[in-house]
Amino acid sequence: MARSRAPQPGPLGGRGPRPDAAAKVAGSTRYVGDLALPGMLHAALATSPVASAWIRGIDTSAAGRLEDVAAVLTADDVPGRNSIGVIFDDQPLLVTDRVRMVGDRFAIVAARTEDAAWASARLVSADLESLPGVHDPDEAMRAGSPGVHGESNVFRTFRVARGDLGRLRSRAAVVVEAEYHIGGQEHAYLEPQGCLAVPEGRGRVTIVASCQCPFYIQQGVARVLGLPLAAVRVEQAPTGGAFGGKEDYPTEPAACAALLAWHTGRPVRLVLPRELDMQVTTKRHETVVRHRWGADRQGRLRFAEVETVMDAGAYVGLSTVVAERANVSAVGPYRVPAVDVRTHVVLTNNLFGGAFRGFGAPQVTWAAEATMDALARRLGLDPVEIRRRNLLDARHRVTCTGQRLAGPVLAREVLEQAVALSGWDGRTTPADTSGPIVRGTGVALVQYGCNLHWGGQRLDRSSAVVILQTDGSVVVRVGLTEMGQGNLVACQTIAAQALGVDPTVVEVWQPDTTTVGDSGPTVASRGAHMSGLAILDAVARLRTRLDPVAAELVGCTPDEVELAGGRAFAAGDPARGVSVAAVAAEMASRRVETIATGFARTRSRRFDPSSGQGEPYEFYAMACHVAKVSVDRELGLVHVEEVVAAHDVGTVIHRDALEGQIQGGVVQGVGWAVSERLAVDHGRLLNPNFTDYVIPTAADAPRVRIAVVESDGAGGPFGAKGIGEPSFIPVAAAVRNAVCDALGCEVRRLPMTPQVLVETLGDRHPFAWMVKSGARVPGPGDVEACRLGDSQGPEG
Amino acid sequence: MSERIAVTIVVNGERRMFEVPAGRRLLDLLRVDAGLTGTKEGCGAGECGACTVLLDGLPVTSCLVLAASCDGKEVVTVEGLSGHGGRLHPFQDALVVHGGVQCGFCTPGIAVAGAAALARGFQDGEQAARLMSGNLCRCTGYDKVLAALEFARENEHGSE
Amino acid sequence: MDLPVRRIVRPGSLPEALAVLAGKPGARALAGGTDLVVQLRDGRRSADTLVDLGRLEFTSIAMHGNLLEIGAAATMDDVARHSSVRRMAPSLADAAAKVGAWPIQCRATLGGNLANASPAADTAPPLLIAGASVRVAGIAGERTIPLDAFFRGPGATALHPDELIVSILVPPPPSGPIVERFVKVGPRREQIIATVSFAGRAEIASDGRLHGVRVALGAVAPTPRRARGVEACVEGRKPDAELRREAAIAVQDDIAPIDDVRASAGYRRIAAAVLVDRFLRSAEEDRRE
Repeated sequence: MARSRAPQPGPLGGRGPRPDAAAKVAGSTRYVGDLALPGMLHAALATSPVASAWIRGIDTSAAGRLEDVAAVLTADDVPGRNSIGVIFDDQPLLVTDRVRMVGDRFAIVAARTEDAAWASARLVSADLESLPGVHDPDEAMRAGSPGVHGESNVFRTFRVARGDLGRLRSRAAVVVEAEYHIGGQEHAYLEPQGCLAVPEGRGRVTIVASCQCPFYIQQGVARVLGLPLAAVRVEQAPTGGAFGGKEDYPTEPAACAALLAWHTGRPVRLVLPRELDMQVTTKRHETVVRHRWGADRQGRLRFAEVETVMDAGAYVGLSTVVAERANVSAVGPYRVPAVDVRTHVVLTNNLFGGAFRGFGAPQVTWAAEATMDALARRLGLDPVEIRRRNLLDARHRVTCTGQRLAGPVLAREVLEQAVALSGWDGRTTPADTSGPIVRGTGVALVQYGCNLHWGGQRLDRSSAVVILQTDGSVVVRVGLTEMGQGNLVACQTIAAQALGVDPTVVEVWQPDTTTVGDSGPTVASRGAHMSGLAILDAVARLRTRLDPVAAELVGCTPDEVELAGGRAFAAGDPARGVSVAAVAAEMASRRVETIATGFARTRSRRFDPSSGQGEPYEFYAMACHVAKVSVDRELGLVHVEEVVAAHDVGTVIHRDALEGQIQGGVVQGVGWAVSERLAVDHGRLLNPNFTDYVIPTAADAPRVRIAVVESDGAGGPFGAKGIGEPSFIPVAAAVRNAVCDALGCEVRRLPMTPQVLVETLGDRHPFAWMVKSGARVPGPGDVEACRLGDSQGPEG
Repeated sequence: MSERIAVTIVVNGERRMFEVPAGRRLLDLLRVDAGLTGTKEGCGAGECGACTVLLDGLPVTSCLVLAASCDGKEVVTVEGLSGHGGRLHPFQDALVVHGGVQCGFCTPGIAVAGAAALARGFQDGEQAARLMSGNLCRCTGYDKVLAALEFARENEHGSE
Repeated sequence: MDLPVRRIVRPGSLPEALAVLAGKPGARALAGGTDLVVQLRDGRRSADTLVDLGRLEFTSIAMHGNLLEIGAAATMDDVARHSSVRRMAPSLADAAAKVGAWPIQCRATLGGNLANASPAADTAPPLLIAGASVRVAGIAGERTIPLDAFFRGPGATALHPDELIVSILVPPPPSGPIVERFVKVGPRREQIIATVSFAGRAEIASDGRLHGVRVALGAVAPTPRRARGVEACVEGRKPDAELRREAAIAVQDDIAPIDDVRASAGYRRIAAAVLVDRFLRSAEEDRRE
């Protein structure tokens, strides 16, 4: 493992420009869609417009006859296994007998132009026999419901069981029961999914892909083409946003492009049009959470029963992994003596549930924080106060999974920082309710398990290569990806800090599966953490060869060599030193090896999935957000004015990247909270576009104020903890609690669109009298039942 | 089949002639025919702003403009924002310095729209945010983008 | 991708443009294209030949006597900022500044916004309350169509296939004190298609009564439309709580909203009532000021 020396002065915690920024602002960064090779073909997909059907036949003859078309392939053309599921073997790359979701692929096409490819794909005809689909997860769970895959639709149920529920139930003075309906979310990365497959001859293929997980693609393509892993090289292209949406999904287009490249012998590029991308790619799971939580008169939680139903869609994908995190995150950073959590993964013919920033935790956090506020209201307690009385802290370290938290437990610190920065004033019902605009404040916390859950810990390792060039510049290769979150600048900073050089001499290259070992997926906020530890390990190994050379040049012992400011010197005597470049040149001339590999893995842990007891994660990061909103209670419009975000980050690696992650996470959370609604009808997305899937603009972004709590004791590079997901998870919950504070009512549906808020207000809506007046206004119940129709045309 | 048409457009200061199908969008003319791939396609429906370019000095979403409509006009893309000697536009510089770049896919459109906003002028942050509201960004939360815009404006004023 | 059109022509004069439109079935006029290009791409509209009106330069905004004439090709950006528009029809300027986002406003034209005939067209309610009319030209000559006879349904207008909008004529507002408002409701502050839009104008008499009341709404019926029930209800009366209540009920018979991906009919009905109520409140407030 990494040798960690006391940090020297260096770039750690600074704000230097990102290494990728200058090319990006100049427009010279080449994303997949910008790549063109001689003879390159364009791919297109022929996909199912319906969610459930038997396939009687697929006819590609018309598609193949179109001018400029080079190949139209179906399942028959797969040389390896026609299977693309990342964990389970339930999803074919190309369907043959059964359609289970809108977007299932009948055939794939390669043509000389993009337009010809898609025109050809539209000519593929499938003879379908309609089959009733399953679209309601609750119904899907009932015995006798048609099975999406023939058997029970309840694919897995995860549990956390702890404490004497019966005894503690009787000790609760107040009990809150609630059912929360939490909508899914589209990642809405700005760059659509895309990849380029290049046949390399001799049974090899290169994939250049917009992705988070090159190693997943490598495995998927190797399986489909029947190749050894070593014959599939995956290079990550600059990736225009991902958020979990490019974790497992990119394997599907990559396998399509690879198959077409394999058959045509030519490079094949596939970029999904936005509408298809939004329809077929994975989404945050639509989730129902049912609670029965009890507290004593002092507001101390006595028990928590949670049942969570996650709509996985037709294939399992990563849903079990998402549910594992949701399962152990269900009661937040609170100490609850008796816990009974059940988390179901349910198959339907709806949208494809998958990875999305937070991985199931945002949904259960939304519910948990709503119930905490409900308990506070019932007990007449301030929402902050009830949380204070229940938080895990230095004295109460045992989580709902029975894990004893090591190191500082900073839930209380992040809460108090957020309270102080937001000027939380023990909120009361807003004084002025005469006008339509009402204001509210809400708080929410998260206890985020860093890195992969126990269930995925075999993947939780990482590899790096560090090469000291003869001129003193440094090449760094890691297996984890940059997708906007800042992994390049984090790795650059970590390497520069460890080598004592200026970050500008460190070049971190995008991952390539032929240069580093399988480092697992870039998910779970583990990018900077795991690649950073591997870099530190590589630097430590490099220094076993560098230090002796430097020591000779400097005139000290190898043990005394320190690196900082671009120089090697004897400890405590910076004046007597040489440049790192000089050491590099000397190593070269002495033919000393200047390349080193590094490796990192998380600590092995024990966990019992049947009881949910054990150590699901190595350590945790706490966060607390306070949101301030104004709500137009007549029109149901929410404006999030401010979000205060207090985060337990361990150590700041790069301050701009950290702030950018928090600011971006907050705005993405605000979108989920108030406007991002997936309108789905029988598995078909009715708003697969940015016209009607409404993500925040610059004018919608709240003011974000950040409090950073640093500490020693975490296990990341220089003590850093991941920030990608903690920045998102509490946002919608804090906004929800603020909206409820403003309106004085319980909102149990997300997103809180204007219509949802008007319906939730019901009789308390200022214009509720109209419903009774005989004017043609349907009541909330009628509104709920309204069928979704096609949208009206746009404006402009 | 689509007829081909000839158009002459001044692209980034250079007068160029293209022969393209009648239905060609300005976006594709730039990316495919002119080889200027800095301009991105994020949605194809004028909603995301990644394809924003200047058409006769004003920002437009090039996915909604037909190449034929640009005959005789001037287009500036992200590649053309920089001045002589490849020096970045002050807003591009500010985006780098202020951390306003993350995944970078929206960035070319943001850079162009921001340059246009500076040329138009704005009173305050709210007005700046309105001018930039046609450029969706999913990474940054806009804070550092708007800070960069404000910085570029102040510096411009300072140098006057 | 290339749009599925066979030809595009760029006539240099109005007669030339009209001749193309008249001579070619399947010819369609293209102005800013911010709607039409999307529709052609999605297959919601089709065209064999596009007649790009860009060279006609119907972009002027000018007063003719007391009449404001806005060229059909004036962009939303032009309309939103023009001093005569701000003076003569402030709610139109406000609406133009809310069409899409700025890059759309720099391209979208006023004529195009009307010809596209979306039920949610932002500029329609302000023009309806201004009593605007549409000057159109065809092979047979020119005619003027009052805007409230112009919209025929979603995407359908009174224009003949060989006709073009040349300009929009806006009569002067009443000379006395007036209240005028435009409000657009949607789930986002900028760059959003209206879930419901509203424009209202009334003269405020010295005794506080409202006269010449005009109210129009968008996205609550197959076309943007005047709310004549509300107008009749409010005409000649003082805006007080009782009137607001009556007007909120009256508007329900003026509209025929549907459920769609943006909102339910029920939400739109409530929102329409709220907007009528707010307009009357602002009439009270404006009088006090």
